Amino acid sequence: MADQARRSGINWAGLAVLLALLVVWEASVRFGLIAFEFVPAPSSIAAGAIRLSREGILFTDLLHTLMSIAMGWGIAMVIGISIGLLLGFSSIARKFGLASVEILRPMPGIAFAPLGLLLFGFSLQTELVVTVLPTIWPVMINTMGGVANIHPRLTDVGQTLRLSPTEIVRHLLLPAALPSIIVGARISLSLALVMAIVAEIVGNPAGLGYGIVREQQAMNPDLMFAYIAVVGILGIVLNAGVLAVTTVLWPASTRSMA
Amino acid sequence: MSQRLPKFPFLGRLLMQLPSPLGVLPLIAVLIVWQILQKGNSPYFPPPSAWWSGIVQSAATGKLLPACLASLQTILVGMVLATAAGVMLGVLIGLSRRTARALGPLLEFCRAMPPPAIVPLAILFLGYDERMKLTIVVISAMWPILLNTASAIQRIHPILLDVATSFHLSFYERIRFVAIPSVMPSILLGVRIALPLTIVLTLLVEILTSIEGVGALMITAQRNFQSGQLYGLLVLVGLFGFFLNTVFSMIQAIILRRWPPRSIPA
Repeated sequence: MADQARRSGINWAGLAVLLALLVVWEASVRFGLIAFEFVPAPSSIAAGAIRLSREGILFTDLLHTLMSIAMGWGIAMVIGISIGLLLGFSSIARKFGLASVEILRPMPGIAFAPLGLLLFGFSLQTELVVTVLPTIWPVMINTMGGVANIHPRLTDVGQTLRLSPTEIVRHLLLPAALPSIIVGARISLSLALVMAIVAEIVGNPAGLGYGIVREQQAMNPDLMFAYIAVVGILGIVLNAGVLAVTTVLWPASTRSMA
Repeated sequence: MSQRLPKFPFLGRLLMQLPSPLGVLPLIAVLIVWQILQKGNSPYFPPPSAWWSGIVQSAATGKLLPACLASLQTILVGMVLATAAGVMLGVLIGLSRRTARALGPLLEFCRAMPPPAIVPLAILFLGYDERMKLTIVVISAMWPILLNTASAIQRIHPILLDVATSFHLSFYERIRFVAIPSVMPSILLGVRIALPLTIVLTLLVEILTSIEGVGALMITAQRNFQSGQLYGLLVLVGLFGFFLNTVFSMIQAIILRRWPPRSIPA
């Protein structure tokens, strides 16, 4: 869908549907067609967002969430890529480690929230525990797969060219595994956003996730919707941002992606 | 295209794909070392024996089994409903390029929205009950399935559609004989992405609202500082995830046995 839109410029039909939806929503709240007292009109959501950003709360919360995503994702990348490379390059590590990974991997990240609360209380550490642990897997598995799927002939070529083992790894094998690692990093990043929001809802009273809960409990539906909208936009921006960065830095890596 | 394969070698091949069982050794080693080093009943890192006694204690009060069943029920029912809704909507959206294009930005927004963000919203609208838990799970798990189905429908080779036209297939026959077989691998991939999501959301709702379930037990254990029980439940949830994941992989492998290998997504 995204490809199509890019080829033919702006997707006017899509924007029109979005706009129409907002207009219908606004009108049905204004004219009382929606009986729910909790549904604010889009205009009051926008007003709420403006009020929040004037007070500076929205920006602080956004900054906190971005920072925890960056920290959590960064830590997960370091752990995930190192273990992934180890498992990819060494068949002994695979033999004596892969089954452990496969057992731990389906563990739902949210299950670590009560554990984080037990160990660290309501704090940034809890948020990082919940964000980092599940985020490790996609990048680890993709790194391992990327390394394991390199054609053996590539190593032969390196040996024919009389490259040292480190040179083979650095100039041939790592670049060959890179596209797969980048895909893993992207999946991990969107997961980090989800888990950061989860952590802020249950474990760390700060950031956008806590903003949603806070306004829900304070019965301010307009502000709650404003926070939700910001979270959704953040999701789109993060995804598009990473895609743009990888396309610029490693054009070859995005070509093979579906 | 589909060779009749004898049953046994197929299962054998499935088993061959599993990693070496020696790989669980590090995990077991960690647990043993943990047990040996941790003598007392630490409030933060209790030894594995305390995990077991915590679970036994929880089972003795008669709360464990109903909680497990409640969570499992939400996950399974949610998964089935989400798959049905996702496939139906995905097929409808995918069949018409114009609809797909018109709904594109809206769908992208819904997909980019982290599912947990709508949990407080659903609590506000639906209140604290079983229905709310299921609604959240279905709505969030539907997206990956819907988007995968829609994009796979769009990627059906035009020749296949021409064949359907030449055969004068009806709308129903097109869906039954052309669309569904072409997109089955993608649907399964979508379900695969959605499955862990349903587990996470079920637990999240239970933790937040204390609606009956394993998540509620975990947060209660944490509040009462019953760390042994908490670790035990963590292991239980892990086994839950591992079990569901394995069962689904097998179902996927069995269904895809009839598909040509190249259409199986890596």
